[in-house]
Amino acid sequence: MNKTWLVAKQEYQRHVFTRRFLFGLLSVPFFMLILIGLIFMIISMNNNTTPLGYIDQSGLLAHPQPAPPVTPPEKSVPLRAFADETAARQALQAGEIQGYYLIPMDYRSSRKLQAVYLKAIKPFPRQYFYNFLEVNMLAGVDASISKRIMAGDEIIARSLDGSRQMSSKNGWFGLFLPIIAALGFMIAMFTAGGYLMNAVVEEKENRTMEVLLTSISPNQFMSGKIIADILIGLTQILAWLVVIIIAIRLASSRFPFLQGIQVSPQLILLCLVILLPTFVMVSALMALIGATVSDAREGQQMTGLISLPVWIPYMLVALIIENPNSPLAMVLSLLPFTSSLTMLIRQGVTILPAWQIALSSIIVVVCAITATWLAGRAFRLGMLRYGKRLRWREIFQRKAGAA
Amino acid sequence: MSAVEVTHITKTFGSLRAVDDASFSIEKGELFGLLGPNGAGKTTAIRCMLDIFKPDSGTVAILGGVMDEAKKALIGYMPEERGLYQDITLERCLNYLGSLKGLNQAQVKKNAGIYLERFDLLAYKGKKVKELSKGMQQKAQIIATLLHQPELLIVDEPFSGLDPINTQLVKDLLREQHQQGVTIILCSHQMNLVEELCERIVLIDHGRALLYGDLHEIRQRFSGHAVVVDTHDRLPALPGIEQVERFNSSYKLTLSPSLQPQEVLKALVQADVNLEGFRIATPSLDEIFIRVVREEAG
Repeated sequence: MNKTWLVAKQEYQRHVFTRRFLFGLLSVPFFMLILIGLIFMIISMNNNTTPLGYIDQSGLLAHPQPAPPVTPPEKSVPLRAFADETAARQALQAGEIQGYYLIPMDYRSSRKLQAVYLKAIKPFPRQYFYNFLEVNMLAGVDASISKRIMAGDEIIARSLDGSRQMSSKNGWFGLFLPIIAALGFMIAMFTAGGYLMNAVVEEKENRTMEVLLTSISPNQFMSGKIIADILIGLTQILAWLVVIIIAIRLASSRFPFLQGIQVSPQLILLCLVILLPTFVMVSALMALIGATVSDAREGQQMTGLISLPVWIPYMLVALIIENPNSPLAMVLSLLPFTSSLTMLIRQGVTILPAWQIALSSIIVVVCAITATWLAGRAFRLGMLRYGKRLRWREIFQRKAGAA
Repeated sequence: MSAVEVTHITKTFGSLRAVDDASFSIEKGELFGLLGPNGAGKTTAIRCMLDIFKPDSGTVAILGGVMDEAKKALIGYMPEERGLYQDITLERCLNYLGSLKGLNQAQVKKNAGIYLERFDLLAYKGKKVKELSKGMQQKAQIIATLLHQPELLIVDEPFSGLDPINTQLVKDLLREQHQQGVTIILCSHQMNLVEELCERIVLIDHGRALLYGDLHEIRQRFSGHAVVVDTHDRLPALPGIEQVERFNSSYKLTLSPSLQPQEVLKALVQADVNLEGFRIATPSLDEIFIRVVREEAG
């Protein structure tokens, strides 16, 4: 087997088959479970299945049509008609209903309602009642038109050449999926990068590197490490993806909106042409840090120099979403450290110009190649400097191979 | 034919001249001693030989030419400080290091099995390296160095951390490798062990090769015109003796240039001294080492 692959295999196995890695891997499903639990809790907090009363003075509900079915079924609530307000009030005080609505005579023109309750009516029963009113307002209208009005509009924005489009029906998921994907990618990137940096520092500290270098070249060593780093990160991402897909499958029976989730081809394209080179760039920079510092603690401090700029788009997420084609968003899309996150955030809210995707990709690929070259150079110069840090100036000044 | 030819190499780190115009050559199949006090430049010289460091000037020829990737499989290097992965099992560690030297799984298993048994580590192969004692780790490091049966073996302080039994085990192993034709460079500051094992040496201090050559010749060169007499009797006054030094039950007699050791022996017998031993005084490598280093320091 090629020695680069031997290094990659050893590095991969050394980090992936450990309790620490498995813990990191399982922590995501664990937090997802907590998140799902929270969602259920919020749903139950927003719901109250005690009947809801109404007094119709407008005649709108003389022959009531039932409200459209909702999912999950617990979000629906039994509706009870009262002849007058006295009866409704008595039922409320007896705890038979959670509240009641008084529909005045001029409701059709004013659309004003009175709600009477002891404790505020929860959002789901309230929405259910509004839907019930809407259905009955449209009672005389043709069924297909009524259904169409209830469904609302879908606005599809297309690029001029027709190659890309985005739909308003993507909703919050279309906006948040790229951000969540980027977040997962960044976590995996920095976790794996952290492993790589620590491994290089450790091999320097415990002199393993000295033994290795009598068997392999520095380039084989460094390439093997970076390949392993990427594979570790991808393993993490793949495992999380599997868990997320299973979770969505399981949850979609209760949350129908999850059934329509689609990953846009553009998101996949961005992952391949921008996120992947960013991963290589960060891995190489982590290796570079490992080769230049004298101990692991110093390395962790220096990691901040890389991680801070990467997170800048998250700090500016509101500005980017509000104006995704602003000069700020465009500049951040082209800078190698910020491009991944910015492009993914923008992808959810605008149509990205093809030239920006191409230019951003070229810049980050060039940076990844340069970082890998620098890491190799720093490694050759700093690999056996025990307890002494390699200065950045030396990386650029000294002749290659003059370690 | 030289296994290693070091010609006027110099290596500096900032203002520190770690190796200073050092030259020496190591013949194929010999057991060569690389000596020097701590910080003398021995390890830097080795790293230059192994192409881990490029010398600022001078040349190194190893196994007949410049170092390349193919030659790495013919060399076994054991650094002074243990260089094994601590968080994996000994077996996996040996497997990995062996595979980097070009061995397949079966070869690693076979060779590792032989050495693990010999070094009494077979029962520990499933343990993590960090769970082994210091001496065990040292033995594991030696096994990792020998796994691929190198032609050139460079061992830096191989006896460090070993008890007398294991020291003997390693000495026997080095002798055995030497008999099999392996070229060995033994880097150490333990003079007695080097004296016991090596035929030729180079002594490095402050990066410079101060002494180089056949160990016997070097000792001859540094021996004064003196004899050592082992006896519990009081020595009589003998003519031609310039200086008498007493060490417990032995005397070191420095002779005048015209006096021969045989004449001293004859005079002692005639004086009826109860002799327990009589030999030409040759300095130990320790003494030569201290003398040379002190002279160098001025």
